[in-house]
Amino acid sequence: MNLLIELNKIWAFAARSLIVNRRNVFAVFEMLFWPGVSIFSVGLLTRFLKLDQETVTFVLIGAVSMNTIQIAQLDLSYCLLYDVWSKSLRHEFMAPIRLGHLLGGAGLVGVLRGFLVFVIMGLLSTWLFDMDLTRPGLAALTVFLTGMFLNAAIIGILVLVLVLRFGHRAEVAAWAFSYLLLLLCGLYYPVSVLPPGIQELAKFIPLTYFLEYFRHFYGFPLLSPHPLFYGYAQSVLYLLASYGLLLLTLHSARKRGILLKLSE
Amino acid sequence: MPPAIVAQRLVKSFRAGFFKPGKEVLRQVDLRVPHGTIFGVLGPNGAGKTTLISILTTLLKPDGGTVSVLGLNPVKDAVRLRQRINLAASSAHFLWCLTVEENLRFYGRLYGLSGRRLTAKVEELLALFELVPHRRVTFENLSTGLKQRLALAKTLINDPELLFLDEPTTGLDPEMARHLREEILRLNRDTGLTILLTTHNLREAEMLCREVAFLKDGRIVATGTIPDLQARLRLGDRVWLSYKNGVPPLNFQDTPGVLSWTRGDSEVHLVLDRAEIRLAPLLTEISRLFPEVPEVRVKEADLEELYHELTH
Repeated sequence: MNLLIELNKIWAFAARSLIVNRRNVFAVFEMLFWPGVSIFSVGLLTRFLKLDQETVTFVLIGAVSMNTIQIAQLDLSYCLLYDVWSKSLRHEFMAPIRLGHLLGGAGLVGVLRGFLVFVIMGLLSTWLFDMDLTRPGLAALTVFLTGMFLNAAIIGILVLVLVLRFGHRAEVAAWAFSYLLLLLCGLYYPVSVLPPGIQELAKFIPLTYFLEYFRHFYGFPLLSPHPLFYGYAQSVLYLLASYGLLLLTLHSARKRGILLKLSE
Repeated sequence: MPPAIVAQRLVKSFRAGFFKPGKEVLRQVDLRVPHGTIFGVLGPNGAGKTTLISILTTLLKPDGGTVSVLGLNPVKDAVRLRQRINLAASSAHFLWCLTVEENLRFYGRLYGLSGRRLTAKVEELLALFELVPHRRVTFENLSTGLKQRLALAKTLINDPELLFLDEPTTGLDPEMARHLREEILRLNRDTGLTILLTTHNLREAEMLCREVAFLKDGRIVATGTIPDLQARLRLGDRVWLSYKNGVPPLNFQDTPGVLSWTRGDSEVHLVLDRAEIRLAPLLTEISRLFPEVPEVRVKEADLEELYHELTH
């Protein structure tokens, strides 16, 4: 295996994603408009409710995380949807590539865009609502961001599974899937306010632990003894499981002729 | 040299629903494609041509039988095989917002090209397919012909040893179709590239293919050279000779190029292997023997229609 060739194949997908994002005005919308609206609306709501600064920070961390994950997973989710929409799926899957090239390239752009959204929202929340996203320090920020990107990757890969299974119909899933998970992980509220049965579900979502870890730097208590261990262990486990599921779905798609149907 | 493609007892079926029985699309298909040839797979819509090509190009897994493409198994050695083959489908589809050049660069990278090699290859293909003036035009703004040219340019990005062309001239204007056929012939002649193409067009197959296989309802019903196949299946151009005063005592038994003939009260119906070559001497001979000049109607061989007539 020639490493340069492998990296070049990953770059092919990354470069393509960058071009698509550059030419698509809605991609800029996704990165600036919605995160901006989110920070404004959530921040202003906290003012209206006259929340104390600590609670405002708690809620804003949720808003920043949601938008960062949402944007980071989109590039991954869209990397096959682009081909489904343009009916070019068969060209990719008959080229000498592996899923890793596709996921690596699109994921790289997702991380880049997610990071930019995190920075933009961080600056907005500091400027408008006196929230300091850098307080936990560089190491904690890196750990938190890595955790978020792992979660984004899991969501993105699961959307790809749906795309290869249901084609165009999976389009909605690209957004809906992440909202559902984010609802359960205590994004705008502590997990303790969720109904009892649902609270148990939150324990199986790695983002719950990453949010808990990051918020404890702002004075909120740690509810689990080792949030990073649980967060990363679950993330790696789910990432491997979702990748396995994607491989199985691709195998099934080649057997059932789905790749051809999606190229027609 | 072993054949480029060997398929034996190839079977594929698709299930329309969970509880519904599978529909057999390929039934015990046997195929041998020699190296360095242009081989045509002919057949009507729904015959299984695209399914067959998809299996050979690793896009689809067969249910049964054995396949070897360039000595590799398309299921087990898929990634290695993909490096050595390429495909152009009947209608060209690429990412709408990428330009001609960007699309070629994207696929070039997927096939392992980078740096100067990638640039040189892209430039070569842009020139070869006369795409240089359109290099910065996005795919969505290209005409059908230019899209098809881009699709063909992409098929050569990895210098394949075996090329699959699924109805390559569909949607092209006659001039472009002719240009493309010439290009296919040139590629085969100059580089020894093995090409498997599917087509509805008998003329195209005749012009390009050394050998063809006829696929019908998922079965190969005949394989051979075009003249062999035409003779065996009675495929050919149809000619009607109409006489106002009744048909004279014509006899086309053993006449060269006449595949079959029937005689009515006022009309003779002939099937010729190649009307453009056979008809003129035939009419000269008839007019020498009989004074009445018949009204002549010619219909070029239509594969589906003729095949339908001959097999039902």
